[in-house]
Amino acid sequence: MKKVLFTMMLATAFALSGFAQEDESQAVKEKDKPVRPPFQSGYLIDNQTTFIPSEGTLEYVIQHKFGTMDNGFSDLFGLYAPGANIRLALNYVLIKNLQVGYGITRQKMHSDFNVKYTILEQTRQNTIPVAVAFYGNIAIDGSNKDIFGDEYTASNRLSYFSQLIIGRKFNDWLSLQFNTSFTHYNSVDSDYEHDIISLGINGRAQFSPQSSIIFQYDSPLKVKAISEQRGFYHPAKPNLGIGWEICTSTHAFHIYVASADGLVPQQNMMFNQNDFADGGLMLGFTITRLWSF
Amino acid sequence: MKRKMFFLGMVFAGALLLTAFALPQDQKVGAPWQVPANYKAMKNPNKAGDAAAISLGKTAYAKHCRSCHGNAGLGDGPKAKNLETFPGDFSSAKFQAFGDGELYYMSYVGRDEMPNFEKKITDEEERWAVISYIRTMKK
Repeated sequence: MKKVLFTMMLATAFALSGFAQEDESQAVKEKDKPVRPPFQSGYLIDNQTTFIPSEGTLEYVIQHKFGTMDNGFSDLFGLYAPGANIRLALNYVLIKNLQVGYGITRQKMHSDFNVKYTILEQTRQNTIPVAVAFYGNIAIDGSNKDIFGDEYTASNRLSYFSQLIIGRKFNDWLSLQFNTSFTHYNSVDSDYEHDIISLGINGRAQFSPQSSIIFQYDSPLKVKAISEQRGFYHPAKPNLGIGWEICTSTHAFHIYVASADGLVPQQNMMFNQNDFADGGLMLGFTITRLWSF
Repeated sequence: MKRKMFFLGMVFAGALLLTAFALPQDQKVGAPWQVPANYKAMKNPNKAGDAAAISLGKTAYAKHCRSCHGNAGLGDGPKAKNLETFPGDFSSAKFQAFGDGELYYMSYVGRDEMPNFEKKITDEEERWAVISYIRTMKK
């Protein structure tokens, strides 16, 4: 719990770090332009960044995760393992800093509708010291209805994920983000929670004009106040990921290792049982392609 | 003898067939650019040799331009071979003689195989930084 409190305090301090500079003159504020994009892609392994391409841009996304690497050479570190997951998605930027999207995922035959809105962009003279974005989705579980039990209704298939992202570009090569998210499943097994709150940190360190190291750490929290159970019987494990990002004018490529196998974020926050410290890591990649209209 | 003649005839016919369908492989040189007057009048706000602008331009060039135009702007990037039109030699005196506004128009408005980059490089400062970097390619 101390760790959680410390993380929350750090996130708050990070978010408020630059608001002390609000006494700058109006003239300076008028000139203050947004910083150049802190991230080159809207995706960062399993997470979203505050970056949204310019309006009228269509993005096609392919996300893929192989099996866990713990079997070593016998399944070539998960490349031949059964149960790989894939998501195909389209995103469109309707107006400046507002993106909507739709994706389909192999795992549980999920369909997800999502929206991302970058509420604030960090500015060069720190008038706005951080970028703030909201990401939310509704996912529909397309599994056979028998899975949902005897009292089946269509709404049992729905799950929701909402996330507040606060990011800062520290210099030309380093950008970091903190996020807090809320996950809700309409229907879960009797010893699972319906709601989960989680915290996360992720970032990007650029080391050449097109290449960066990216990382993420998402930690689902055990919050008693919203728990429905006497104990936490299946607490989701943290999702650690580290990867390499290559960006061109219209593509972003991520190749990474991560511990959670979901490609819909609520799946990772609620159900991840892979322990990165115990062989629960898998290879994955993301490819995005942009078209401007 | 007949067999020999037949064999030679077949070789000749084969050679004729192969050469008859050869396609021109050379890239064409683009027609002169028609740059509107308002673009021609534009000036690069960065001073020549501005290190910060060149550094920023180099990064953007690597991301957006290098795959066709090549590391040194010689038009020899990995995608250049697939283009019908030679993407230009930025190091040449002829290219460097273009005005700032002309380079701006050619780079961001584009035409034919040179795509429009106005939505990919949206920041004016970054656009001019690329022009500053291209200026450093002069031999």
